[in-house]
Amino acid sequence: MSPSDTTEEETVEDAASEVGPLEAFASEVAEAVGGTAEVAFGTAKIKVSADRWRDSVQTARDEFGLVFFSWLSATHWSNEVAVGDPLGDETTDRYEILCTLSDLSEGRRVTLSADIDAESPCIESLVPAFPGADWHERESHDMFGIVFDGHPGLEPIYLPTYFVGHPLRKTYPLLSREVKPWPGKVDVEAMPDEGDDGDEADVADGPSTENPEA
Amino acid sequence: MTITDQDLVRHLSEASVSVELETEDMTLNIGPQHPSTHGVLRLVAKVDGERAYDVKPVIGYMHRGYEKLAEVRNYPQITALINRIDWVSGYANEIPFIVAAEKLMEIEVPERAQYIRLILTEMARISSHMVFMASYPLELGAATPLFFALRERERVLDLLESVTGGRFHPNFNRIGGVKPAAGSGSTMRKQIQDLPKGFLEETRTAMDFIDEACDQIEDLVAGNEILLARTKGIGVLPADILAAYGVSGPNLRASGVRFDLRKVEDYLPYDRFDFTIPVGRNGDCWDRWWVRLEEIRQSAAIIRQAIDGIPTGPLQAKVPKIIKVPAGETYVRAENPKGEMGYYLVSDGGQGPYRLKIRSASFSNISILPWALEGTIIPDIIAIMGSLDFVLGDVDR
Repeated sequence: MSPSDTTEEETVEDAASEVGPLEAFASEVAEAVGGTAEVAFGTAKIKVSADRWRDSVQTARDEFGLVFFSWLSATHWSNEVAVGDPLGDETTDRYEILCTLSDLSEGRRVTLSADIDAESPCIESLVPAFPGADWHERESHDMFGIVFDGHPGLEPIYLPTYFVGHPLRKTYPLLSREVKPWPGKVDVEAMPDEGDDGDEADVADGPSTENPEA
Repeated sequence: MTITDQDLVRHLSEASVSVELETEDMTLNIGPQHPSTHGVLRLVAKVDGERAYDVKPVIGYMHRGYEKLAEVRNYPQITALINRIDWVSGYANEIPFIVAAEKLMEIEVPERAQYIRLILTEMARISSHMVFMASYPLELGAATPLFFALRERERVLDLLESVTGGRFHPNFNRIGGVKPAAGSGSTMRKQIQDLPKGFLEETRTAMDFIDEACDQIEDLVAGNEILLARTKGIGVLPADILAAYGVSGPNLRASGVRFDLRKVEDYLPYDRFDFTIPVGRNGDCWDRWWVRLEEIRQSAAIIRQAIDGIPTGPLQAKVPKIIKVPAGETYVRAENPKGEMGYYLVSDGGQGPYRLKIRSASFSNISILPWALEGTIIPDIIAIMGSLDFVLGDVDR
């Protein structure tokens, strides 16, 4: 096996200004599924509309050989944040559903994404296209409360049946942080000689995690 | 009364058809505490005699919520968490996360640090596969290979410990490079010590022992008729089904797919090394065992080449003291011992991720269990489950 197999990320980084193979591939897929491609940091994200979600995934699978179901999950975009840093910019409250597919020869992959409304998040299930989506959708149902239309059984997978709430929603508080705001990044101490953030150092020691109350 | 040959033939054929025999389905709970589950996994199966149908894995007993915790921690703190995802190869878990953050920060990692990462990742692979070499025959009733395999694993873990200070949870990678070697004194003095003295030579010797141990294990296990009978032709998984379930790594390669992320992704400089991707022919339990044994040999070969070619130079790129990752999204995946492990990192420019999706190999690998176990006999459940080589920490995250 020759070690000279190409990787698209490498090529993309080498020739950032030109259209690399990943960009070309991503725009081809985007055109076929009727979405828009964004390529950054070696990852091709293709935005499609939520009502054509399963169709898009099936097209990517059948026409581009993306037969490997890598994962499915979501991001909650919200300005209302119970724990952690809030977003810097204004955003509309929404869930962005993400699904990464890959081929099994050259390692080409795309991440399909669709925005769904935060009020009553619901989207088509991918189980008819990829049986492996079953557990991933159950997980997203647990964590975000997204309903997958056509899923054979949206039972809790990680959480106990009596659990209330959807932990990965940005509005869901982390109980331990409510009780004591430590040792998160919320109370990172400044380094002794810390003047500004741009201070270059030989070693990144990492911020102190010592309990200030101890 | 004497039983003639004629009777016996008739009797056996009737029993195997069993048209007249009505049995009632029984629900069988396997687990959550069973030695072959490598953690806490429960299977609920409907059994009809010896055959299992409608097997439902119940997971989540070890869910620790790392994706939520990552949102309230900063980047240097997260490596300590993700060490514990797949604890059998803790070191390998750190790599894709660190690389994802470095990608967003556009940091060029020094060559020497990359080589050290690569050597230690391959060591993690050897140690993980050695655990499989130990536990799989044990699950099938052979206790002896365990002693051979765990002895060699200890050799590798000792070396890992000498560099990182930890056997299972090294927490050794830093954004921009690797941490100073264990025992290097106060990090406040900004001393950077390199690999411990004699580490490379000792590793080279250890790799010779590993090769020898692979031969021993092969002699011991591959010639064992009982083990062959338990694994050959059992749990055959076709490649297209595996891909649709997202099963990756050695399990996928055992079914004849020549696909290894080390060859196609650029998270570590694997393109400079000469190694082959072992693939199986039949996709049965035996092939999954064989592929892993062969991968140990390949990893040893990679480590030898890396020792020969390791450049000198710094261990850390220049990075700010307070790590802030610029806004952006990226998915970085790596070939972990268990399969594809990746992190989808969403940053909004802060000191911690806005969202960190952890794609772990074992979660997808065992999602195929209901398909793979349909209609198998109960002893084969253990043979098939064991051959998938999963760790529940990697399933539940």
